[in-house]
Amino acid sequence: MQTTDPLERYSRQMRLPGIGKAGQERLLASRVTLCGCGALGTVLANALVRAGVGFVRIVDRDFVEPSNLQRQVLFDETDIAENLPKAEAAARKLRQINSTVTIEPIVADINRSNIEDLCHDVDLILDGSDNFELRYLINDLAIKLSKPWVYAGAVGSEGMSMTIVPGQTPCLRCVFEAAPAPGEAGTCETAGVLGPAVGVIANFQAAEALKILSGNLAAINRDLLVLNLWDNIIRRVRIAPLAGRKGKCPCCALRRFEWLEGEHGTQTTTLCGRNAVQVSHRRSSRLDFETLAQSLRTSGSVTYNKFLLKFQLNENGEFYEFTVFPDGRAIIKGTSEPDKARILYARYVGY
Amino acid sequence: MIYLDNAATSYPKPSSVYEAMDHFARHHLANPGRAGHKMALTAEHTLDNARHRLNRFFNGRSPERWIFTLNGTDALNIAIKGVLRDGDHVVTTNVEHNSVSRPLVALAEAGRITLTRVSADGVGWVDPAAIEAAMTSRTRLVVVTHASNVVGTIQPITEIGRLVRSRDALFLVDAAQTAGVVSIDVQAMCIDLLAFPGHKGLLGPTGTGALYVGPRAEAIIRPWREGGTGGDSSSPTQPRELPYYLEGGTPNVLGIAGLIAGLDFVESQGPERLRQHEIALCEKVRHTLSALPGFDVFGPADPAQRVGTLSFRHHSLPAGDLAAILDQSFDIAVRPGLHCAPYIHRHLGTYPEGTVRISPGPFTSENEIDRLLAALQEITTGL
Ligand SMILES: Cc1ncc(COP(=O)(O)O)c(C=O)c1O
Ligand SMILES: [Zn+2]
Repeated sequence: MQTTDPLERYSRQMRLPGIGKAGQERLLASRVTLCGCGALGTVLANALVRAGVGFVRIVDRDFVEPSNLQRQVLFDETDIAENLPKAEAAARKLRQINSTVTIEPIVADINRSNIEDLCHDVDLILDGSDNFELRYLINDLAIKLSKPWVYAGAVGSEGMSMTIVPGQTPCLRCVFEAAPAPGEAGTCETAGVLGPAVGVIANFQAAEALKILSGNLAAINRDLLVLNLWDNIIRRVRIAPLAGRKGKCPCCALRRFEWLEGEHGTQTTTLCGRNAVQVSHRRSSRLDFETLAQSLRTSGSVTYNKFLLKFQLNENGEFYEFTVFPDGRAIIKGTSEPDKARILYARYVGY
Repeated sequence: MIYLDNAATSYPKPSSVYEAMDHFARHHLANPGRAGHKMALTAEHTLDNARHRLNRFFNGRSPERWIFTLNGTDALNIAIKGVLRDGDHVVTTNVEHNSVSRPLVALAEAGRITLTRVSADGVGWVDPAAIEAAMTSRTRLVVVTHASNVVGTIQPITEIGRLVRSRDALFLVDAAQTAGVVSIDVQAMCIDLLAFPGHKGLLGPTGTGALYVGPRAEAIIRPWREGGTGGDSSSPTQPRELPYYLEGGTPNVLGIAGLIAGLDFVESQGPERLRQHEIALCEKVRHTLSALPGFDVFGPADPAQRVGTLSFRHHSLPAGDLAAILDQSFDIAVRPGLHCAPYIHRHLGTYPEGTVRISPGPFTSENEIDRLLAALQEITTGL
């Protein structure tokens, strides 16, 4: 760039009364970990890096695939041809957008062992994930370390977001004490997803991030935002009274970090010589096969009886077979990689 | 019984350890990771959780780097025999336990490696400069015990770790006497391999131990125990991924359930607080015996430099006799002899008779120490 003033590129943003030069300098000095770089994550990373957030760590375990391009704004066909991990592909693009900030791509599955390392040195954690296991883990860590985080999710034409500031707002578990059971909430693979719905909700999240990082905590949204772009619904649900859930929220009131402690979450077992991985839950639940079968039919062939549900699909030329049991457990044939099995489970059964 | 042999194995364990093992044995004692049934899954989670907990406690790079072993000796053997190649040079010290020195001497006698044994000073402290001076361009491995099991001296592990790393060798630390009572950060201390039993300061049962394998060691280490791993049964040789690469056979999941209950206790108290309790008791013994005629007490005078293990001897009563009288007539358990560490005893001039070693634990009371001291006075009066 031909400019001498490094702040010139942010001039339009600095004109906002809430930001100004001081706010911009705070943004440049701030650090963020982005957990997941898919639909939400690419929009978030794009907004943050353009806005001049000084350090963005992008963590994602996945590789770019053709079905991502419909909504994951940082990726293109070259990334697929080169078989790039999402974190790397995003970093490459983001460095072209703004070479003056630091981007740290990390290709990893975020779990209870590494999440603290990945987040201990940042000012804010952003949820760009596609699964509840990770969101509850982020919530535990954010409350434990007293760091703000912004939750969001989008499926179909719906999106939802809330901003968590430990000690000031309810935490995720105050509002949704338990994660939805496997198969209960749709996923982008089963229910589909409208690109603009993700874009709107992720940009909403990004605005919250910019408020927090520029020192405008007073301006944050303290409600649960719910919108449906197809049905033209925008709702704000008042959740402030739920803060600490009368002293009983397991996480922010009782400070029991059940997800960090490994009492919840999934567990994978590689099955002896069968090119298959079993995914199970620490706390078992009851699946409704009829609903699950209905949601899976758009992606592959499904049969079920009282004891099991079989689901076969072809994803990018790879053949997988899921055998799902009523307690949420699934044996996924076609891979011997626990990480891959987790991704497939999150995509199709959902968690 | 007054039990003062915690350096050999801790007793009693916190009652939560007995409870955890009883509960686990009755409800979850399946073979982990082989069938995928409910009980197997719980057993597998116990192992995964234990790796996560050790990784957090010692600040490792990742959970799969924690290999469960039979005891400290097993962990040390996996490390030593796994990383050494013909022609390598190894630096160690004269404070080491036989579980370090015997495998090394055997390899040296077989002509496979060359070995340099660095001498400690008069209180059992090893100067990092002496380690550095002993290293050559062929030095693959430096093995140092974190604290002596005879005189309790804590070694300058961080300084040694830094210089070993700067010389591109691997650093193996025997934490048998420190795990649970001295904070260990494997990354900050530049430790490539950390070996320890679970049955001492971590308050787990016998039959437990672990080896941490850092990234630099992972590139070199090879297994010498091979067998079933649960997953990936089709591969004709041991699968490369940790922990399975080094962990053939059914792990002691029952013991590990107990070990983690022990770690819970250690974390709730904090290692430094546990060490303070033990050294305060040792200090009392040291002060009293130093003032009595006929006793020599060994090791550093500064309690900050030691763990709760103290060695002494009496001029006219051999260590073995003294210990036998304490056991027979006073019901006090101590450990006489060479403590599997002959080189340090030679160095102290206490070979071959050895010393009497006392090592209190978290549950040892001051009253028990007073009774030991009274017994020692009674036994030695008039000699
Ligand atoms: C310094 C030292 N290293 C190694 C060991 C061996 O441990 P284990 O008896 O568990 O094999 C011990 C204890 O006996 C020890 O004190
Ligand atoms: Zn809460």
